[in-house]
Amino acid sequence: MIGLKQEAAPRKGYSSGKQTHDPLQHWIAKNKQIVGIFSVLVVLSLYFSLFSNAFATTGNVLNLLQQLAANLIVCVAMTLVITTSGIDLSVGSILSLASALIAVLLKAGLTSFEAFLVVLLVGAVVGLVNGVVIAYLRIPPFIVTLASMIYIQGLALLITGGYSISINGSAWLNAIGQGRFLNIPVAALIALFVVVFGWVVLTQTKFGTYIIGIGSNEESVRRAGVAIKKIKMLTYMFSGIAASFAGIVLATRLGSGSSNVGTGFEMDVIAAVVLGGTSLFGGIGTMLGSVFGVFLIGVIDNGLTLMNVSPYIIQIVQGTVLLVAVIVNTYFFSGRGVKRK
Amino acid sequence: MASIPRIEMRDIKKSFGKIQSLRGVNLELYPGEVLGLVGDNGAGKSTLMKVLSGVHIPDSGTMKFEGQPIQLNSPKDAKKHQIETIFQDLALCDTLDVASNLYLGREPVHFFNQLIDQKKMHEQAKTELDRLGVTIPSTYVTVENLSGGQRQSVAIARAVIYSPKVLIMDEPTAALGVKEVRMVLELIQRVKRTGVSVILITHRLRDLFEVCDRITVLYEGRIIDNRPISDFTMESLVASITAENEEVHS
Repeated sequence: MIGLKQEAAPRKGYSSGKQTHDPLQHWIAKNKQIVGIFSVLVVLSLYFSLFSNAFATTGNVLNLLQQLAANLIVCVAMTLVITTSGIDLSVGSILSLASALIAVLLKAGLTSFEAFLVVLLVGAVVGLVNGVVIAYLRIPPFIVTLASMIYIQGLALLITGGYSISINGSAWLNAIGQGRFLNIPVAALIALFVVVFGWVVLTQTKFGTYIIGIGSNEESVRRAGVAIKKIKMLTYMFSGIAASFAGIVLATRLGSGSSNVGTGFEMDVIAAVVLGGTSLFGGIGTMLGSVFGVFLIGVIDNGLTLMNVSPYIIQIVQGTVLLVAVIVNTYFFSGRGVKRK
Repeated sequence: MASIPRIEMRDIKKSFGKIQSLRGVNLELYPGEVLGLVGDNGAGKSTLMKVLSGVHIPDSGTMKFEGQPIQLNSPKDAKKHQIETIFQDLALCDTLDVASNLYLGREPVHFFNQLIDQKKMHEQAKTELDRLGVTIPSTYVTVENLSGGQRQSVAIARAVIYSPKVLIMDEPTAALGVKEVRMVLELIQRVKRTGVSVILITHRLRDLFEVCDRITVLYEGRIIDNRPISDFTMESLVASITAENEEVHS
């Protein structure tokens, strides 16, 4: 510290001493969007409970949790990526590849453990390649991950020939997608763990602070002496691992690996993250919001399906909700979405 | 000024494409000295300071820190030599809170060094800001919600709390109100008294006469004047900046 002598008393009107910090008040001020989307989620859930007897049942809720586990896992990584003001379009393809690859590897005679590790490793490598090209070669994330999305999809088709392959893994491997612990889906518990992990990383670690900083003012973080390229690279690598893990969750739930389970998956995840209040411009990210975003999209799908609404109409509703939510977030809740830079 | 210069820059050159921003600059800075660096827009002031803060790597030339040759390849190198910079654009992250901005890159950690010690960080931030007489509603507020003066104060506080040996200030008073300018100038004088060398870049020439010991004038990437402040009058300084070499004051 500089050792300045305290000259004179603080000037009039200058606050000194203890500052009052009301965490809840600050949290709400920063996270109005989350409160907003949570309200919508509650209202919709009440609506579906009233108009469909099947909606608010233990069976349906647990089933929904199991179905959304893969989305939740990937949305955690996507939140980090988008907060850096990046995007990862390749997660759907990585998910397909992981799902196909684990089936192929098991069929080829690898043990469940070996196959599991290889799939995660492949996801990590794909994410790493994305990260290196984006961070070190400075190619825009949109183009880089669009390219990965295409070639990874091709790779998935190549190794399966386009067919679904049934999975014959050990009990523990199948339990990832199908198991129950105290009647709660194991997949949902894993997703919960990943969400908490992601929240801690984003809000409580240096890594998370730099992710927000990079999205807000990359140059400023660089000048603070932070290795921003490494941070970005690791973020995309984490995204690749999360997507391949989600692929295993999905494949073991369905009992088969297929090269097209992830088609359009990236859009669902991006939509959920944006719905939750994470800014596509970067600098603002919220794990809790993303979780609510996943649930909102999931609940609309689930509730309307139970009410026998046509799947085509469900899609129209989801898209419209996304558009309205983004407009509301931009103009009523934050005032930030209108570009700062 | 018999002591070894704290900073000695020799024949620093830097080009951006076809534009020669610095054409061989020599500069010394002594302990406890406030050096005013002036020049018209595009004279190379900011580029020179970015070289000294490790943001730009010079094409050629040498630098010494307290007599020892140094190479600054990154902002981290500069910080290692306790050279702190307040950039013109403040370099703050709008969506991070005040404390996170103050300790960006140097956050206090706990829990096996994995987590940021939020409580400690905010307490330290509050203490430091109070000591510097900076008024901020709370260290939990994000920087985007602060006024221009408050943002400037946060930027200055960020540089000063790491007990720098050299403090570079690029237009620190440009966007400030009268009261806030006072605060910054007082702050420079307090910092100087502790032995810190300060380089002040500013277009507000009156500020220079209040705090500087010496003035160096840059013109088109070269130093064209370098004298103690007592040698200058407002008129001769203006003449020097606009490179009217003949004596204008009768």
